[in-house]
Amino acid sequence: MDWGRVRFFLGEVFRNFTRNAGMQATAIGTVAVTIVLLGGFLYVRAVLGGVGHDLLQQIRISAYLQQNASNATIAQLHAALLKDPRISSVQFVPKSVGLKELRKETKGVIDLSILTKNPLPDVFRVSVHSASDVPAVAAAVRRMPGVANVVYGKTIVRRLLHLGAVMRRVGIAVIVLFLLVAGIIISSTIRLTVFARRREIAIMQLVGATSAFIRLPFICEGFLDGLLGSLLAVGILAVAHAALWSRVFRALPWLHIDPRLVNTPLFFAQLLLVGAAIGVIASWISVGRYLRT
Amino acid sequence: MISLRNVTLAYPNGVRALDNISLEIGKGDFVFLVGHSGTGKTSLLRLLYREMAPSYGEIIVDGIRVDRLKRRRVPALRRHLGVVFQDFKLLTDKTVWENVAFAMQVTGAHTKDIMRQVPRTLDMVGLAHKSRMYPGELSAGEQQRAAIARALINNPKLLLCDEPTGNLDPANTTEIMELLQRINLKGTTIVVATHNQAVVDRMRRRVVRLEDGRIVTDEERGYYYLGLGQSQILSG
Ligand SMILES: Nc1ncnc2c1ncn2[C@@H]1O[C@H](COP(=O)(O)OP(=O)(O)OP(=O)(O)O)[C@@H](O)[C@H]1O
Ligand SMILES: [Mg+2]
Repeated sequence: MDWGRVRFFLGEVFRNFTRNAGMQATAIGTVAVTIVLLGGFLYVRAVLGGVGHDLLQQIRISAYLQQNASNATIAQLHAALLKDPRISSVQFVPKSVGLKELRKETKGVIDLSILTKNPLPDVFRVSVHSASDVPAVAAAVRRMPGVANVVYGKTIVRRLLHLGAVMRRVGIAVIVLFLLVAGIIISSTIRLTVFARRREIAIMQLVGATSAFIRLPFICEGFLDGLLGSLLAVGILAVAHAALWSRVFRALPWLHIDPRLVNTPLFFAQLLLVGAAIGVIASWISVGRYLRT
Repeated sequence: MISLRNVTLAYPNGVRALDNISLEIGKGDFVFLVGHSGTGKTSLLRLLYREMAPSYGEIIVDGIRVDRLKRRRVPALRRHLGVVFQDFKLLTDKTVWENVAFAMQVTGAHTKDIMRQVPRTLDMVGLAHKSRMYPGELSAGEQQRAAIARALINNPKLLLCDEPTGNLDPANTTEIMELLQRINLKGTTIVVATHNQAVVDRMRRRVVRLEDGRIVTDEERGYYYLGLGQSQILSG
């Protein structure tokens, strides 16, 4: 290891970095804001996505059987439902049990004792693995022999699925926009440094430095901008996470938010990676453009 | 060392700076390029260190086909030659020592070699005692010596000088030319583009004269003006 060489290189990077401190701070700040927004967005999306997922998981398909369905038909139907790989569980609720449940739920509200016979049909309650399969499975069950009608929360499923798709699309657009802005700011910062160092660059080229060598300090500068910016952002997000997480829990217990939903160390590491990558890519582009002209 | 065959250089704006030039310069030669302002001296040097590529023609420098050189091969060519300019092009925020070492550092030299080579070269140009000073603290002549040291640090076989004494007084001019001569004696090929009549006439070396982008004369022991020494002009 040639420490003289290392020291020279670090000296060059440090010189670049401190020459334009104001602009450097702007770049770091922009990256920080971008990563906070990006991180916050992904975070909320992960949490809400989990909630939506939970809601969807609670949606069951109720298949009401024909009143005259024979025991054999019911058994066949049960077997057919269990065979479908999309279906996670099947529960048979005979009409007697259904009536009992109804009595319990309506106790003191409606007097069901006036009923002389049980008007309810037998029901299969079907759960599926993936919420997006609900409509298709419901349609398939509807066509099976012995099934009179199929009921599920059609609108809520459709809305949740739609909401998920919209959020994904909006999310990607917003993220791309943020990254673009941060990239442009870093690249302008590097361009300023390149401009400030144009004499050095000219000398380097004159004495035969390779463009990879000329590039390296600027790439490091971009990397530092990106890394420091995202470190700042991760700090802010970590504080926000610590302050808000338990409060959200207490405020919204019915959401069943799983604390393991967001793997924070991994999540933060990914944000750092994203920040550093923006810095490297942006500076690569702006130095490359300068060296080619 | 240098070979140009039917070289033409047209700038993008249409100016034909060099027009069908052919020139051979041998190893260890010392050559002056003279001619009026705008006749293509600087342009010719630019072709040699591949600052520009010719529009037509073949250029060979130290065995390298310069006219067809790919961009990523240019650094290798530049390490074979040194270039010195009228305005020195020193980095003002680095000391003399750092300026000279810079040329080694950015071409990936080992620190051990840098520590050995830089003092030796500074000693040769007579700047060893001012190695810790900044260019702003030096006289013009000393700055040019620092620039020459930087150009020589990687032991090039060819030194290209564009008006090296353009900013210097007569005393400094003489010193610099003596330095170049000493370097030439060690075997380095030297090409000097200059307007300085006194220098050319005193040294009596090979003189290549350009006019409107063409070589009009090429004399083995020439004067600044065709066939005439300074004294002859003055005396009438
Ligand atoms: N970058 C450029 N773009 C366009 N034309 C140029 C460029 N550089 C030089 N020229 C033109 O090319 C011609 C030769 O210029 P060059 O600089 O080689 O002359 P020179 O002999 O070095 O002059 P001087 O003695 O004044 O330094 C001139 O007509 C000049 O205007
Ligand atoms: Mg010139």
